[in-house]
Amino acid sequence: MDIIQLALVIIVTLGFALLFGKYLARMIVYEVRPLEKTLGRVENGFYKIIGIDKYEQMTWKQYLYALLLTNGIAAGFVFAVFMLQNYMPLNPMPAFSGDLAFMQAASFVTNTDLQHYAGDQQLSLLSQMVSLIFVMFVAPASGIAAAFAFIRGFIRKNFGLGNFYVDFTRIIITLLLPVAFFSAILLIAMGSPQTMEPSITTGTIEGKSQTMVTGPVASLESIKQLGSNGGGYYGANSAHPFENPTGVSNIFETFLMLVIPFSFPIAYAHLLGKGRGVSILAAMVIGFGVMLILGLFHESGPSGVETRFGSFGTVLFNVASIATNTGALNSSLLGMNHDAIISLFVGMFVQAIPGADGTGMMTMIVYIILTLFIVGLMVGKTPEFMSMKINPKDIKLAVLVFLAHPALILIPTVVAYTTGSAESLFDKSTPLSFTQILYEFTSAAANNGSDYLGTAANTPFWNWSTGLVMLIGRYLPIGLMLAIAGSFTMKDRKEIVEPIKTQGPVFVGILVVVTFILTALTFFPVLAMGPFSI
Amino acid sequence: MALSRNTSKIVSPAIRVTVIMIITTGVVYPLLVTAIGQTALPYQSNGSQVMLDGKVVGSKLIAQEFDSPKFFHSRPSSDSASGVDPDITVEEANSQILSISDATGIPVNTLKTLVELDMERNRNANAIVFAPDYVNVLELSVELVKNYPQAYQQEINGEK
Repeated sequence: MDIIQLALVIIVTLGFALLFGKYLARMIVYEVRPLEKTLGRVENGFYKIIGIDKYEQMTWKQYLYALLLTNGIAAGFVFAVFMLQNYMPLNPMPAFSGDLAFMQAASFVTNTDLQHYAGDQQLSLLSQMVSLIFVMFVAPASGIAAAFAFIRGFIRKNFGLGNFYVDFTRIIITLLLPVAFFSAILLIAMGSPQTMEPSITTGTIEGKSQTMVTGPVASLESIKQLGSNGGGYYGANSAHPFENPTGVSNIFETFLMLVIPFSFPIAYAHLLGKGRGVSILAAMVIGFGVMLILGLFHESGPSGVETRFGSFGTVLFNVASIATNTGALNSSLLGMNHDAIISLFVGMFVQAIPGADGTGMMTMIVYIILTLFIVGLMVGKTPEFMSMKINPKDIKLAVLVFLAHPALILIPTVVAYTTGSAESLFDKSTPLSFTQILYEFTSAAANNGSDYLGTAANTPFWNWSTGLVMLIGRYLPIGLMLAIAGSFTMKDRKEIVEPIKTQGPVFVGILVVVTFILTALTFFPVLAMGPFSI
Repeated sequence: MALSRNTSKIVSPAIRVTVIMIITTGVVYPLLVTAIGQTALPYQSNGSQVMLDGKVVGSKLIAQEFDSPKFFHSRPSSDSASGVDPDITVEEANSQILSISDATGIPVNTLKTLVELDMERNRNANAIVFAPDYVNVLELSVELVKNYPQAYQQEINGEK
């Protein structure tokens, strides 16, 4: 049974990734899509309102600036709604404190969705709908847009990185919104509520009364999963039966998380060579497979695990969620076996197997550049990528992308311990409590959002620190990677065979090994102190 | 002058795109899904409410607490991830059968059959392969009351 389930997820995901990958490729190079005329007309309407010229190209700096500005305004809106929700209609709730509102606005706009509050108890229906659902489109659309610009940097000299507003609009209107819409309807059919009533009160069989929080759950759930967001309508996230009602919805939601990240290597294959794209896909599948095998090695639950998912459905969902940096969990992490926890750490350390919508692919290309550099050093050849010379500046940028991640995890962890903020959450320090602290910052830095601390972390220290880590963890790598794209788009392409091929089984093997070794070398000491010692 | 015109040229589309997306994705999209859900799938859209004798007695998806020893009991809320896990394993259901039979006088074999039937129902709802076998406590309780109204007269009238 479990094997059939797994096989179906893999087949359906890869099948749809083939379709979506082709579609993404057409979006990246502005080729004709299905229903192009209609889509084009709708998009032109949006461009008119936004007030942009769709043919205007941006430099990498302009692209980054437009992305930051749009994200900043969206975050400001989310912050304002959280601070003022007590004055707003639709079952007003008490306003968030300033530090919590800052942390949550940063969390949602960076595609992290770490939550230091319980949605069903602390957010009004209006906040859930107008601020959360909205920002759950903004965050993945920004990540995918950045990846579009990044990939355009490699296509050919001076192809142009594109226009952020054009990409952002097209990604929301012609990709995320239609898929989220149909998925939301399917989720309703599977049992997820969708109503404008903030709660329903019913009797029980024994004649008592029971109140359940409801709302536009299905419409949030679909974009939460599809957009690698992960922020739950309920505090229990995807473990809550209204968010994830059955085994069927569990698998469907798993598929939604995986489909866009796995579509990117297919798009890459269409644009930059079939072999190269398929090789990246293979590396991602291998990495994901390692996580899955590690997670499935021992049973999880039954404590902390929902009956309708069982151990297998729990591990499958959670590994897919962490691997795609979605971060929605369908169980309590305390119910997961130790190896599964280590597997989740690996996914968040690597961030590219397959990683979040858009940024996962970008991170994978950075690993390729680093691999070419390391292999180039070993065999004594100048590193080249797509027949372009990789110069020292590109390598420095790629190394910075790689180093930003451990810095954002390890330094705050140390700060949390030296300031006593870590100990204040627990009675005493144990490998488990260290694991939970490490997990919190790893999840924040990777823009993952799964949490081990939950509402206990709603203190000024944890709100400000994780908020900052999420912002830097999102925008620093995106900025550096766009700079890399800006450098590559101006390079001359040579008509010679690459000294080190970036395709084929040998390269896939080296890429996977280098990625895992780099990660292991960086994080082994803390893993030894934490999850290995529990 | 040139700088401020440039600034407004850059800032204006960012504000406009945010506003138009708030309306499109934050208002129109959820309202449209709600309209379709309420029209085409009203049962699920309103929380899968279970009826008994013309009265709503809860949601199929949300566990409820039972005081009476005549009903199957959900997991303690601290044991599940959601705290409202509406289901129990078949083994757990079977382990409660004897005491329920004692309290109600319903034969053990009948209870076993009802558990089996509910398990089958869930199996079909999950297309067999997508979930382990489990029993929905509320659905099972409704079946019990429907089949043995005499045994549950006190409980459903709220008398003790």
